[in-house]
Amino acid sequence: MKVSLFVTCLADVFYPGVGKDTVEVLERLGCEVDFPEKQTCCGQPAFNSGYHIDTIKVAKHMITTFEHADYVVTPSGSCAAMLKEYPELLKEERDWEKRAEQLANKTFEFTQFLVHVLKIEKVDAELNANATYHTSCHMTRLLRETEAPLKLLNGVKGLNLEELPNREACCGFGGTFAVKMSSISEQMVNEKVMHIEDTKAEVLIGADCGCLMNIGGRLERSGKQVKVMHIAQVLNSQESLTKG
Amino acid sequence: MIQHRETFLENVAKQLGRPGRTSGVKRPVYQKSPQHNVMKDHSKDELLAILKDQCLAIHTDFKQTTHDGIEKAIDEVLEEYKASSVITWNDPRFDAYGLSDFQKRENVDVWDAGKESRSIELAERADVGITFSDYTLAESGTVVLLSNKGKGRAVSLLPTYYIAIIPKSTLVPRMTQATDAIHKMVEAEGARLPSCINFITGPSNSADIELNLVVGVHGPIRACYIVVEDR
Amino acid sequence: MPMKIGDPSFDTRVEKGLKDTFMRQAVTSAQERLKLAKGKAEEELGNWEEWRSLSEEIRAHTLENIDYYLHQLSENVSKNGGHVFFAQTAEDANAYIKEVAQKKNAKKVIKSKSMVTEEISMNEALESVGCEVIESDLGEYILQIDDHDPPSHIVAPALHKNKEQIRDTFIEKKGYTKSSNPQELTLFARELLRKEFLEADIGVTGCNFAVAESGSISLVTNEGNARLATTLPKTQITVMGMERVVPTWEELDILVSMLCRSAVGQKLTSYVTGLTGAREEGDVDGPEEFHLVIVDNGRSKILGTEFQAALHCIRCAACINVCPVYRHVGGHSYGSIYPGPIGAVLTPLLEGYDDHKELPYASTLCAACTDACPVKIPLHEMLVKHRRNIAEEKRTTLSETFAMKGFGLVASSPALFNMSTRTAPFMLSPFTKDGSIKNGPGPMKGWTDIRDFPESKKERFRDWYKHRESKKGGGSK
Repeated sequence: MKVSLFVTCLADVFYPGVGKDTVEVLERLGCEVDFPEKQTCCGQPAFNSGYHIDTIKVAKHMITTFEHADYVVTPSGSCAAMLKEYPELLKEERDWEKRAEQLANKTFEFTQFLVHVLKIEKVDAELNANATYHTSCHMTRLLRETEAPLKLLNGVKGLNLEELPNREACCGFGGTFAVKMSSISEQMVNEKVMHIEDTKAEVLIGADCGCLMNIGGRLERSGKQVKVMHIAQVLNSQESLTKG
Repeated sequence: MIQHRETFLENVAKQLGRPGRTSGVKRPVYQKSPQHNVMKDHSKDELLAILKDQCLAIHTDFKQTTHDGIEKAIDEVLEEYKASSVITWNDPRFDAYGLSDFQKRENVDVWDAGKESRSIELAERADVGITFSDYTLAESGTVVLLSNKGKGRAVSLLPTYYIAIIPKSTLVPRMTQATDAIHKMVEAEGARLPSCINFITGPSNSADIELNLVVGVHGPIRACYIVVEDR
Repeated sequence: MPMKIGDPSFDTRVEKGLKDTFMRQAVTSAQERLKLAKGKAEEELGNWEEWRSLSEEIRAHTLENIDYYLHQLSENVSKNGGHVFFAQTAEDANAYIKEVAQKKNAKKVIKSKSMVTEEISMNEALESVGCEVIESDLGEYILQIDDHDPPSHIVAPALHKNKEQIRDTFIEKKGYTKSSNPQELTLFARELLRKEFLEADIGVTGCNFAVAESGSISLVTNEGNARLATTLPKTQITVMGMERVVPTWEELDILVSMLCRSAVGQKLTSYVTGLTGAREEGDVDGPEEFHLVIVDNGRSKILGTEFQAALHCIRCAACINVCPVYRHVGGHSYGSIYPGPIGAVLTPLLEGYDDHKELPYASTLCAACTDACPVKIPLHEMLVKHRRNIAEEKRTTLSETFAMKGFGLVASSPALFNMSTRTAPFMLSPFTKDGSIKNGPGPMKGWTDIRDFPESKKERFRDWYKHRESKKGGGSK
């Protein structure tokens, strides 16, 4: 199966390992992975800030870039949801709307693709650790994907998953919100960190680099020992976590 | 009297970008109607069991009795509440359920149309108000009371305690059946609805202080439902 | 109380909210309890999504035909002997209400809970003509005697106060002598308010829903104060936002069911009262005169716009009860009597952006509100629409506009994108706070004040991929 990877700008620049792991897992499962080099960003920062004219430019570029793809797979629930927003964004331009729909229909978040398209619920991975999973807002409430990541994580050898209390609560990222309303964001991420600590997990797993950057940044700043991993990294893990 | 309606509604229509509408609108056939499936085909006994359970959730005492045992049941409640003075509706059902002697007791007043201030005063002073239920909603544990001149609003509101006598035949699954019946009353030509229709679910309560539930705020502080088997 | 409350500066209000530890604990525990109760109520129904769809359909149909239903409503109220006044503005509504009070020579007015009368500052209007206005909802009463503290929640207005604060207010203002036990506090208020009810000349109520087919209004309460206000005083004035109408009792069933479950997790509240006109010939209690005031006050401007569904709101506060931002900043931070997500959507619509342009940004767009809404208002999408209006009206800071335009340019050009990602962690450059660079240290401060920021990696993913492909001897497109 031929898959085009939309790596997302965050993973491209700050978490290239997430991209590599995504590629490796997909290849291990028999996919041929292609990386359209012209890809940029899904446009969400501008969209959520209300700059829709500017977002439309980005959207058109992305639609063109992925036009050839059979499937577009991205290691981010939030960016996948943004790609699915394009038809609405372009509804005034009929041709573009149609092309946007085609892109939306073939776009899948990484775990979604594994479980719903490849029909794989268990990948050959091992991680000996107590972990907890952060269900990100856009993954659960915009993409409506709640089961795929957990199914896959349950199949990872050695991994013990503790349920995160208040797991449906936002971590306080919200893109520009984290900067614009940083004092509120701080309280939200503090609460998330507190709940993570309640689980006694050594590893926090998530499927969105934005949330992980926020929670991870706060964990680091407060000197907590919890390691943060993207789910692609977990699914590509072959080793037990060395304990410090 | 209706004032300023035309300009107000013209503006509304203008905002909606179409000519004004004062006639010809049909309610749509809604795509879903889940309300009709709730407790569909439940027997009266099944509904009664649900009502009884629900009474726990709404802090309401529950009693069940036969036609002949009703006066005794009321006395038991009065004793439990340490209540003496009573006010009842002026409702032919008291007679039909053998409670006319009860209504003649010295400590029992009957809502009296025509002597306004006195009836309200009596209700305000009474320990207990007693009414019949016109419809009883099993799901929520609700008695529905339709007011009229003998069936004063204050009887179920001003006394410290409230007793609702529920003929078993008044049991329906939920609010839907009561509102359907009211809707039909409206549709029946020329009919005016009772000026006050109360859906009462247990005693009054409030959670305005730290979200702590306090039973008994402006209305009764305790309530009891007495279900009576119909003859 | 006007719609606008508290300090004029959003930042000052938020700062105050974040520092109020008791309020935040109270809100957190209230949210937990209300969320749990609503969840249980949803589960008991079994097919919540069907109920939501039906509710949405009812609200959409009604608003599309709102002139028809308001016409029908007013005809039927009038047929039953009631008076109807259509008020375009708050001033119109207050003028009429004052006129009724003066005609009746009213000294004392008792009120049950109503958001719209808060919105139009009715109390102040009535006080200006010498009426004493008494709030009878326990929460509202507490706030009123505490020197008019503003409400912080549309269902539980005194949520931000603890029982000790309430006890102290009762001691200071009303000579209370007992403990802070909620039961004792409540019974004390019951005694005081019962007297007021018996003496009041006019009862004022809000309106949860008005039924067009019969000219009835419905009131949903737990305390029974709305019943008292419509049983004892000789005159009843009901004030309703114009969107509160439903076609028939069949729709009323659905919306009341959804309101009770969504607001407090009850199947029905203690009292749902349907009132049709004044008392009938021969009735002993109930008002002799009934006035219905239908208020626009900015609502019609929302009709026919992409925000029309905001008028579907049934004021259940479910969105407020799940909002993580509200949880930390509390109701007063929104600067409006309508707080939380619905407040952030509605307040700028009713009052404009000038004083409320921060509200649409007080959200992470986590969509918990949209999921919780029993009538499916797409609240988080409306917040984005507001942001769009604000950006397009050029009300955002120059630096943000510049950054976002730059972002659009860069992210639609692979060459520029490639260049900027190679050189810098560009993602955060668009995000400046409070706009001007000379006052604030760089755009990343908001982030790095509280958390670490990952360094941008020398080898980006695309470099790794290209390198690997070239080693394989292949190439990417």
